[in-house]
Amino acid sequence: MKNRKVVCRCEDVTEEEIIKAIEEGYDDLESLKRYTGVTTGPCQGKGCLMHVLRILSQKTGKSVDEIGVTTQRQPVNPVPLYILSEGEEE
Amino acid sequence: MRVAIIGGGIVGLSTAYFLAKNGIDVSVFERKYLVYGASGRNPGGVTAQMENEFMIKLALESMRLYDEIQSEIGFNFLLRRDGYLKIADEKDAEKLENEVKFQRRHGVDVEILQPEEVKEIFPDINTESFSIASYFADGCIVFPWAVIWGLAKGCRDLGVKIYDYTPAKVVVEKGEVVGVKAKELHRADFVVNAAGAWSNEISREAGVELGNKIVKEEICVTESLKPYINPYILDISSGIYVTQTVRGEVIGGIVGSEVNAIDFKGSLNFLIRYAKRVTQLIPKLKGLSVLRQWTGVYDVGKNGLPVIGFTKVKGFIQANGFGRNGMSTGLAAGKALAEMITKGKSKLLAHV
Repeated sequence: MKNRKVVCRCEDVTEEEIIKAIEEGYDDLESLKRYTGVTTGPCQGKGCLMHVLRILSQKTGKSVDEIGVTTQRQPVNPVPLYILSEGEEE
Repeated sequence: MRVAIIGGGIVGLSTAYFLAKNGIDVSVFERKYLVYGASGRNPGGVTAQMENEFMIKLALESMRLYDEIQSEIGFNFLLRRDGYLKIADEKDAEKLENEVKFQRRHGVDVEILQPEEVKEIFPDINTESFSIASYFADGCIVFPWAVIWGLAKGCRDLGVKIYDYTPAKVVVEKGEVVGVKAKELHRADFVVNAAGAWSNEISREAGVELGNKIVKEEICVTESLKPYINPYILDISSGIYVTQTVRGEVIGGIVGSEVNAIDFKGSLNFLIRYAKRVTQLIPKLKGLSVLRQWTGVYDVGKNGLPVIGFTKVKGFIQANGFGRNGMSTGLAAGKALAEMITKGKSKLLAHV
């Protein structure tokens, strides 16, 4: 357990798990994200995306530019439903 | 025989899987990555609470196939049989009751529940927020991504070639398909248009007018909770639906509306509408935070039903227009279409 390198803390995904997924063929960023759950937790990738890019780049030999980033989706930070429910509908 | 399928969603992959089981040489062309389209953007509700006999048949058969296929392939679809609830306010009560009568006549084991009875299934529902419910205990929630990856694995194990990030065009000569043109020409005896929201363009390239309606729908997830909301809940009066994913996120959205062109823009207005209604239905969710919102697009056949079958172009086959029912009916539709391609007919598709 000492050697576990946790890459995505929200979803508890380790570097070894990411590498395994890449080897299984989930070797583009969008598929890797969905298959492993990285970047989909409360931080929405703010804490882990760069590490994931590094691993994917090292494993596939593609440059970080070539890999790109995941689609960024609103909200930037989590927003509670009770606040949203006070908003005004168009 | 060779078949080329355009679209790596549930309909395309299911068709590919059942064709390959019959020893057919199949290639699937996906213009983006698997789960990019509606098959990867939906909340995973599976039901037979339809208003059309053909769709009910497809749904009941699909529900059986989910079990069969995931064992066959050896990939967990993360399906849970926790029931599907449709709720309605007073003005839609009669509509829901009629729907239930129709479904029961066609073999769907669905029942009318009063709000107090719904509380027994899901204790935190606000019984003041609706007047009647239709409950389908066999209804399921699947993890759509797992369904698509599982089907893809099953296809590959049978020798199907799946080309992702590969747009493909139908090639027609003298009123007959020759194959599809991707990076190179792939010859095929049949080309299946299972491109979902993109089916109109694919069809036009083949010289066949399709005219499916395009619908845009918004959806969101909250942070995760331990399993709590078991059934899938759809409020037919407001169009709002909500359930929980296998990962614990509370997932929900609002039934979409027709648009002229495909776009994936999300709106704050959606979040406000959703938050207002969902916190009425389940007041306890108030403190939960929305993590992420997204948008999906799907196509609906002109008469509200899927478009499945041969066209005036020899070898060109439609398998699109499934609307919100792809996860509920796609497996059976793919199986039936594979039968039609290999044997020339299918009992399920007898009328199309």
